[in-house]
Amino acid sequence: MTGRLSQGQVIAAVGAVVLLVATFLPWIGVSGPSFPAGIPVPQGISTGGTSENLWKGSTLDIYLAITAVVALLPALLALTDSAEEFSFVSAATFLLGAVAVILVIAYLTVDFPGGAERKIGAYIGLGAAIVIAMGGFRAMQEEVAGEI
Amino acid sequence: MDANRLSQGQMVAASAAIALFIVSFLPWFGVGGAAVTVGGTTIGGAVNRNMWEFENPLDVYLLIVMLVALVPAATTLFGGAAEFPLAPIATTLLAGVGTLLIIYQLFDHGSGASIKIGVILGLIATVGITIGGYLSMQEDAGGERY
Repeated sequence: MTGRLSQGQVIAAVGAVVLLVATFLPWIGVSGPSFPAGIPVPQGISTGGTSENLWKGSTLDIYLAITAVVALLPALLALTDSAEEFSFVSAATFLLGAVAVILVIAYLTVDFPGGAERKIGAYIGLGAAIVIAMGGFRAMQEEVAGEI
Repeated sequence: MDANRLSQGQMVAASAAIALFIVSFLPWFGVGGAAVTVGGTTIGGAVNRNMWEFENPLDVYLLIVMLVALVPAATTLFGGAAEFPLAPIATTLLAGVGTLLIIYQLFDHGSGASIKIGVILGLIATVGITIGGYLSMQEDAGGERY
């Protein structure tokens, strides 16, 4: 199956799978109140924090899902032995991945809610978006090299 | 500056991008409910938010879409030598996805928020950028279909 895929397409597909998994990990968390050691916690107050994944109240989730699907498209076509080929998929993967990197960085900096904490999912998602952009760029280069 | 240097697609995309920038300062969403007046002081009430004030990555995304549509057109218009071979596909793709994201926002804009005129006009402008990008792709390919 992977024989039909270029190295760049494989890299982008791996990044897409990691990105999809990362969207279900916690991206944002709020810590509960902390009490000094030795002081009993009052009844009814929880010291546990809460965390949420990306699928709550953001268009970033839809955008990242679209990016992952486009990056996975060549692998899905190879998996189904489809003869269909889209000439623009590598460029689209690169563009969507690069914009995803910008959006995740913006989300983690200027758009991040005050008082909240960045969780592991956000960093894995950022890394996966970088991998998708790199894979898309490499696939574009491989396509150009193949045409020469 | 010579507007004849721009292709029809670039012209459509750039005009729509300028329209989107202007529309982004109109109210996109209304937040809040009825105001209560106590002792002459009004508390609460609905507040309109434009694209930049609504807490959502959509503002950053649509800014990127505007830049992708405007920068190649502006460079061509002012006689720059820089070439942007990916510009038509980038404009079409990113504006197309932007259209989907705005449509998604129409249906899922959070509880207590309401749709205002800006988001509808923003959707129309984003569709305009997509059409302009697609025309540019066709012009670049000399009629070849993608």
